[in-house]
Amino acid sequence: MTTLITKTITKICLPLIILFSISLLLAGHNNPGGGFIGGVMFASVIALTYVAYGLDYIKSFFDPDWSNWFGFGLLLASLTAFAALAFSHNFFRSAVEFVHLPFFGEIELVSAGLFDIGVYFVVIGGLLSIFKNVGDDK
Amino acid sequence: MDSFTAITLAVFLPFILAGILPTVAKLLKDKIGWYASAVAFLSLLLVAQAAPEIIHGETIQRSIEWLPSVGIDFSFYIDGLSVMFGFIVSGIGVIIMSYSNGYMSKKEDLPRYYQQLLFFMGSMLGMVFSANTIQLFIFWELTSITSFMLIGYWRNRPMSVYGATKSLLITATGGLFMLAGFLVLHAITGTFDIPTIMHSESIKEMLHGHDLFLAALILIFIGAASKSAQGPFYIWLPNAMEAPTPVSAFLHSATMVKAGIYLVARIHPIFSGTEAWFILVSGVGIFTMLLAGFLAFRQTDIKGILAYSTISQLAYLMTMYGYTTHHEPGIGVAAATFHLLNHATFKACLFLVAGIVAHETATRDITKMGGLRKEMPITFIVATIGALSMAGIPPLNGFLSKEMFYEASVEMGHLVGGPWSILIPALAVLGGVFTFAYSIKLIDGIFLGKRPTKGLPDHIHDPSMIMLAPAIFLAGLIILFGLVPSIPVHYFVGPTVSGILLEEVHLHVKLWHGITPSLIMTIVTFALGLLTYTQYGKIADWQDRFNAKFPWISVNYYYDAAVENAKKVTSKFSNRMQPGPVKTYVVALLLLFIAMFAIPAAMLATTLVPQNLNFDVPLYESIIFLFMIASALGAALLPRYIPAIISLSGLGYLVALLFIYLQAPDLALTQVLVETLSTIIFLLAIVKIPQKFREHIPKTTLVRDLLISVTIASIVFILLINATQGIVPPFESLSHYFVEKSLSLAGGHNIVNVIIVDFRGYDTLGEISVLCLAAFGVYNLIHSRGDDQ
Repeated sequence: MTTLITKTITKICLPLIILFSISLLLAGHNNPGGGFIGGVMFASVIALTYVAYGLDYIKSFFDPDWSNWFGFGLLLASLTAFAALAFSHNFFRSAVEFVHLPFFGEIELVSAGLFDIGVYFVVIGGLLSIFKNVGDDK
Repeated sequence: MDSFTAITLAVFLPFILAGILPTVAKLLKDKIGWYASAVAFLSLLLVAQAAPEIIHGETIQRSIEWLPSVGIDFSFYIDGLSVMFGFIVSGIGVIIMSYSNGYMSKKEDLPRYYQQLLFFMGSMLGMVFSANTIQLFIFWELTSITSFMLIGYWRNRPMSVYGATKSLLITATGGLFMLAGFLVLHAITGTFDIPTIMHSESIKEMLHGHDLFLAALILIFIGAASKSAQGPFYIWLPNAMEAPTPVSAFLHSATMVKAGIYLVARIHPIFSGTEAWFILVSGVGIFTMLLAGFLAFRQTDIKGILAYSTISQLAYLMTMYGYTTHHEPGIGVAAATFHLLNHATFKACLFLVAGIVAHETATRDITKMGGLRKEMPITFIVATIGALSMAGIPPLNGFLSKEMFYEASVEMGHLVGGPWSILIPALAVLGGVFTFAYSIKLIDGIFLGKRPTKGLPDHIHDPSMIMLAPAIFLAGLIILFGLVPSIPVHYFVGPTVSGILLEEVHLHVKLWHGITPSLIMTIVTFALGLLTYTQYGKIADWQDRFNAKFPWISVNYYYDAAVENAKKVTSKFSNRMQPGPVKTYVVALLLLFIAMFAIPAAMLATTLVPQNLNFDVPLYESIIFLFMIASALGAALLPRYIPAIISLSGLGYLVALLFIYLQAPDLALTQVLVETLSTIIFLLAIVKIPQKFREHIPKTTLVRDLLISVTIASIVFILLINATQGIVPPFESLSHYFVEKSLSLAGGHNIVNVIIVDFRGYDTLGEISVLCLAAFGVYNLIHSRGDDQ
């Protein structure tokens, strides 16, 4: 079901979509986007390469254990929730900080952003491990 | 570092360091046991850090607010009792984990083993320092769970699994009774904090006069008895011996089974001084002491002897803690506390020896052993010290506490009066007789006599120092505590007794204290014990005939019957509830939905007629709607799977398009991506199913499905129409709050995202956990099916 056209387009789109997914993740707090949607975006482009080139071919040089990704994400998300306790705040209390960096200007650092990164990794890991398991099943 | 910080670290460091243990194991390979020993040693040092203040007679309590709305704090109470247990748990922990380095084969799954041991140690430490009943309950159940995993360490042995299940069923159920008891206690006293109740005379007085006093006592005691294998609950402990021997030594003789004793000692100041306490605690104790003592004498498996002996020794402790009268609430407390400490030393020592013997001879059957004293001289000496201490021979520490037990029994008997003044000491002596007999049996059976000609390996020798040193260390403690009892009494027993009786106590224990009734009782014990041992054959015959005659007298008989029946009934139930095809589940779910919403929807449809419906639909939207209807019909009617799925996903994309027109870019983006991925996964799954025309569906089923679909669609339609009317007066819209506070509280302009990651962050955490679980579920579903083929 894969043609040269699909393969070529996939090759071009892959880096663009990954960058787009990261920008969605980082922009999420103020513009449309966020960890969930960024994660789904990332997962779908990897799924696209799996479909275009075949799971076995991709696995021969790129075969991460996606379950580690969602494990890491869940850990990160829980830690940001618990981190508030370490500063004697309530569970899940978030913090906002504005930092001024050269070239970038005013940057907003949000603890909820870390949580969002956790969500991002969980979504990627969860979806792709489901995808790989179903696809791998002979 | 102050004591509270030290104890907090001692409790939580094992958990944290066990968490990273698998990573460390990659570096240390099969030396990982030393890492675990080091962690246990760290906990020991931290407990020792808190000890000096306690030995000076202080108690420390510190709380961190946890659930203030229900009055539950995270709180540690550090007194003599908890510190003594802290020392036993972490100290024996160090010994056991070092010993395991020699015992556990390198081929075993060592990281799992040590990780669970450390988890257990942390839970046990957390339990003994808990000031709060709820916190105590949580750590209590954690010890049950870790014990379950350690008993079932060899997962593919049916007996391990049986033993693990049995222990979990009994101890965890007992724990629930205990929780109920704590709640009753809370209902009476209005607090979850144990020290508050302990130190307040007025609360205790009110409790003792309360109607629910007995209920609270019995419920909590069931928890203690099930954990410490007392009364009818003893049956789990012998089966728990399927665990690796270091685990049996650590959990099932020295520490976890003492949790029940700890609980009894902890609530002693609250409940003692009443008749109910004496009858319940001492009654169950004496009964168990005799029964288990007798059964221990009859075992042929060396770990079996030790298991029943542990039950019997724990029953001694129960009995002694139960000795109480209104004027003298703590008759046996000093004796019990001293014996508790001594039992931890000699029983752990004997278990280590049992591990060594089983390791070297490859059997645990005592009838196949004998005459090993020449081949294993050091093991023989260590074992003899441990067994003689258990038997109560001077000058070892077991003698001292056994004497104190007899003394307390005489005093208690005297205070109760009547026939009991003879009966209680007599029963105590009888318990001692059995103890003496099985202690002698251990030594005689393994090390004395003649070596059997067959069944044992040719070359048996003392093991390496890794396994021997911990046992020698414990044997040294036994002698030290026996010769210089002032050391343990001053540092451990005294502060503990003060902690339980809530007053300054000065104890004096001496090896020789003249010819007293207790000394005479000890001599009688030795004589009768020897006699019993020589009559082993006759007693065994009698018991075998008795068992054959009355099989129903065993508790195991009822346990097995109950579990078998429960399995049958539940498998019947689940077979009916889960027949297999997904369609059945979907129909059930949809019917549930109808049952829940049909009546409200019908009422809405009649009463709340929509006022301002907007029929002014732009042209492009109506075109999309037409396409949506067409693709929905396509999904339902197309005869092949793949076109139907494509049609379904087409519907999804059209919805996304609609979202764009309705100015919801977030939703549109999400919809497109989710639709894409789910279509691909759907296709991947469906290509494995034969691609011919769909199966023939009978007309009745078709009509039924159609009816369900139409009903659901109408309900959803009614609900949506009404939802578009906005918020109905008594309720207020929440969205204003989010719109206003999104920037000021969470610093974000995208309200949807702020709600997801901040305002409703807890929900999101739950959702991503569900996603992880789903991924695991899919993995298991696909890989478990592979096992059957």
